[in-house]
Amino acid sequence: MHSTIFGSVGFALFPVVVAILALLGSLTLPVFADVLPYDAVALLAHALFLLMGVMVGSFGLMGREFMNRRFGQASLIAYASRSLPISEQRIFATFLVKDTVYYILLYVLPFAAGFAAATPFIGIDPVQGLVALVSLALAFLLGLSAVCFLSTLYAHSVALFAGTVAVLAVAALAAFRLGAITVSTILPPYAFFLNPALEPLALSLALILVPAIISVIFVTVEYPDRTKRFENHLDPLSGRLHALGSAHFIAKDALDLLRSEGGAGKVIFSFLIPLGLVWICLRIMIRFIPGIDPLVVFAVLLGVLSATIYNWLTEFDSFTSYAFLPVEVREVIDAKLKSYALLNLLPAVVLVLAAATSGGAGSLIPAFAAFVSVSVYTLAVTVYLTGLHPNVMLYSAWIFLRYLLAISPALLLLIFASVFDPRYALLSLLLILPAAFLIIRARVKWQAWEMPRY
Amino acid sequence: MYTGCRCSFKKNRWMVTHMQQMIEATELTKNYGTVTAVNRISLSVAEGELFGLLGPNGSGKTTMIRMLTGQIPPTAGSARVMGIDPAKDPVEVRRSIGIIPEQETPPSFLTAEEYLHFVAKIRNLDAIDERCGRWFDLLEFGDKRDVLCKDLSRGTRQKLMFAQAFLHEPRLALIDEPLINLDPIMQRTVKDFLRGYVRDGGTVFLSTHILEIAEEICDRIGVIHNGRLLHSGPVEDLTATGRHLESFFLDLVRGDTGA
Repeated sequence: MHSTIFGSVGFALFPVVVAILALLGSLTLPVFADVLPYDAVALLAHALFLLMGVMVGSFGLMGREFMNRRFGQASLIAYASRSLPISEQRIFATFLVKDTVYYILLYVLPFAAGFAAATPFIGIDPVQGLVALVSLALAFLLGLSAVCFLSTLYAHSVALFAGTVAVLAVAALAAFRLGAITVSTILPPYAFFLNPALEPLALSLALILVPAIISVIFVTVEYPDRTKRFENHLDPLSGRLHALGSAHFIAKDALDLLRSEGGAGKVIFSFLIPLGLVWICLRIMIRFIPGIDPLVVFAVLLGVLSATIYNWLTEFDSFTSYAFLPVEVREVIDAKLKSYALLNLLPAVVLVLAAATSGGAGSLIPAFAAFVSVSVYTLAVTVYLTGLHPNVMLYSAWIFLRYLLAISPALLLLIFASVFDPRYALLSLLLILPAAFLIIRARVKWQAWEMPRY
Repeated sequence: MYTGCRCSFKKNRWMVTHMQQMIEATELTKNYGTVTAVNRISLSVAEGELFGLLGPNGSGKTTMIRMLTGQIPPTAGSARVMGIDPAKDPVEVRRSIGIIPEQETPPSFLTAEEYLHFVAKIRNLDAIDERCGRWFDLLEFGDKRDVLCKDLSRGTRQKLMFAQAFLHEPRLALIDEPLINLDPIMQRTVKDFLRGYVRDGGTVFLSTHILEIAEEICDRIGVIHNGRLLHSGPVEDLTATGRHLESFFLDLVRGDTGA
């Protein structure tokens, strides 16, 4: 699908871009070795791939959405079990394998290759490149498998899911406090990278395979057995939002989100769980990087992650639905931005809660400024580069590269500046200016793209 | 049996002394790469006329409608729809007319009623409940008003698209394959509605490959094949000679060598 959209070359270049970025990043490791030891970078890389596995798995939510969100345009294949003699288990297992191969080829392999290519220049044994390939793939699969397992539980019973998560969280917290477990035992693929022995490998595989097999065996697909009926909520909702303008578009966005399957699960799996992981990783990272303010870094990462809310907002919408109505593209984009601003209150609350519970309230103001600025800037870059199609267009190598180049330097600069003094995070407010410029340009650019004229 | 939509316009209210051209296309051309989907088509549709564009699948009918409604710009040539150039001001054209696209479906997670209200709000209409109720009654799908669009049958979705196109009582409607998903009873209702609408002064440009529809309700037809307009003229000129539209159409299309 992606090669059809972007052309074979554009799509094929995507892993090349990942490899080049990994190579360049790896080459800079000695420069930052004093501030950021190799072990910390390795932990960060494994945490990122674990996070990616979680986010990829989160597309596979329960029931029908489980299929729709996971397979996108391939949902007809996913529904084949209704018209062809193929079991849901087999289809799900096949798609798990497909996802594994797809993401390993697209992300893990090029990342490890980039790292391996840099090893001769940074004084690391080139064999570590091969080890990284295995350990990063394991980290990705661990995240994927864990979320598939949890979403299968969720699909069977919300109470069972909540109970399991609570038990696991309490057990992990208790063990961590008692010093019974370390980072390596929580993240066995990372332990394997540090020490490529049989034990962490076997543990990783067990933690991947057991939940994955359980997910496949107990997978449930909700086929609609009755037609859902709803009262007219569009009018009262748009009445309440009237002051914002384009209220009917915002109300429609809200109804799309609320009524699409997944509901709260969508927020939990694709937003709150990754955020929780980021927070845990940051709490660990501060041991390695003295001076870092976890709340500010969390706020920066929260800003980037919150921009994915825009992907939710555009997932159920396409301009073709409006192409026969008197609607301008810029009107739709503006409405999405307003919806985004409203939904962004959720991560803002998460940030305040993180500050309140971590004793980091002292740096809340610069952290909040960083969150708002990074969120707005990342959103502006996304809108400018992908218009109303972020879920598809970010897979174009060129667009993805431009996205990374637009965002990464600003974020890294912000994080490093905040190491010296958290108050430097206030400088992030400068990002509002390019963000405003990009939004203005995006409205013109996508108007011309979606509605070409003479 | 035209049950009437009680449209606010009536022929005698705005009919001018001479027949106004609602659609004028001049040498309209659309190329997709090396493929010419529409090849230098010139045609006009007068006010109060029901014009049918007939052609086999892939002949260029939908491309023609999409150019006339400003959804895609022509490669060459020009058009005016109600006096507006759709390539220069597509939004104004869409504000003035009603469009039923061939494939576009209403947004999944709104109910049928919410979707009509959504369209009404986009068009800044008043008396929304009354307007929607009229269409639920005429097309007999009021019992589906609270069902999500994604759960509606194709036929009901088509009714919904029909309702949204006429909700603002436009003077001109462009309809792509109007009856393709409807049952025979509803086809009769829609055909009667369209005839009544035209009788009241409305203008319809419809595309179809179902010849019986064109023969039964159109005033004038155009036959398109491989992007070229092979024929344009009143239906009664054909029927007066005793020929059926089907044999005329088949002769025309099969005899088209593309020269």
